[in-house]
Amino acid sequence: MAKINTAGVDTERVKERLDEHKTKMKLSLKACAHCTLCAESCFLYMARDRDPKYTPSYKFINSIGLLYKQKGMVDKVTLGEIRDNVWERCALCTRCYCPLGINIPEMLALARSICREQGVYPRYDRE
Amino acid sequence: METSTLLSGSNVFDFIRGPLAWISFIVFFLGLIYQTYRFFSYTKKNPHVIYNPRPRKKITGDSVQNFFKKAKLSVIGINPVMIIVTTVFHLCLVITPLFLLAHNILLKNAIGFSLFSLSERFVDYLTIILIACGLFFLFRRIFVLRVRAITDWYDYFILFLATAPFITGFLAYHQIFSEHYRLIIALHILAGELMLMAVPFTKFVHMVFFFVFRFVIESEYSLGKGDRTW
Repeated sequence: MAKINTAGVDTERVKERLDEHKTKMKLSLKACAHCTLCAESCFLYMARDRDPKYTPSYKFINSIGLLYKQKGMVDKVTLGEIRDNVWERCALCTRCYCPLGINIPEMLALARSICREQGVYPRYDRE
Repeated sequence: METSTLLSGSNVFDFIRGPLAWISFIVFFLGLIYQTYRFFSYTKKNPHVIYNPRPRKKITGDSVQNFFKKAKLSVIGINPVMIIVTTVFHLCLVITPLFLLAHNILLKNAIGFSLFSLSERFVDYLTIILIACGLFFLFRRIFVLRVRAITDWYDYFILFLATAPFITGFLAYHQIFSEHYRLIIALHILAGELMLMAVPFTKFVHMVFFFVFRFVIESEYSLGKGDRTW
């Protein structure tokens, strides 16, 4: 397996943040049946020609799910991808609906908070 | 030794239909108790939640009309096919093994107690319906873009694990591949046991978490009291 270049990322802190919410996160990831019934509840998904990347479960799995899977050992590029999922593709309007009751917005907010701590967030003044 | 001979050989076969069956029941029930306990130990009651259940109203023409109006705007109205298929699939998943005559005879022989049995023909239909629903999920995973985007090998494995006991049960009941009947029935028992043991520790655990998240945890969409918080 290729070694991850974690330069510029405080992986210990990421791990610490994940551990603070470990149970809720783990149970939510485990409960997700990958049914995508949450899709239509996202206005951005509907507005972006039903692009799969806007499905709430996609954003949830590819943000907090990814961080959890990698146990916080992520590089800047991965954090950048997570940033796209939780900021560019999510307005955090909290209108997403999961039939199984998973609190998707809370998970995405946690991913945002972790990214922000690592200095990875949209810089509208620069971009 | 060939796998088929190994599985249907008397020692392995006796183990699969004997001790392993009990082990799987124990793992299933203890696992579910453990997951429920774990959930309660990680959450606490929120005293600020005020639960005011809506007063029961008489069912009138208007209330039925309102119900359908609301349903049309909900996930049922938006994805009716998926909701119907998934409901039928889950009902069949529970009803079929519990009320199958052959299972109840085994249960009666083992513990002297059994549930009532549905007619064999009806249960056979339920099995076919369940396999058809499984195929629907499979095609959905392969062909629907948004589902494929979050699907990995584990989702296919879970789907296989859920349907394998029913596929092998169907093959055994109809004596398809009758020359390998002993192998098919061994696979059927093994698949059922694996599924049971997997429930508390894999994605199947949504069997418990559905009720936890939708009824117990505080949430805007709570269907119950929702007075516990993390």
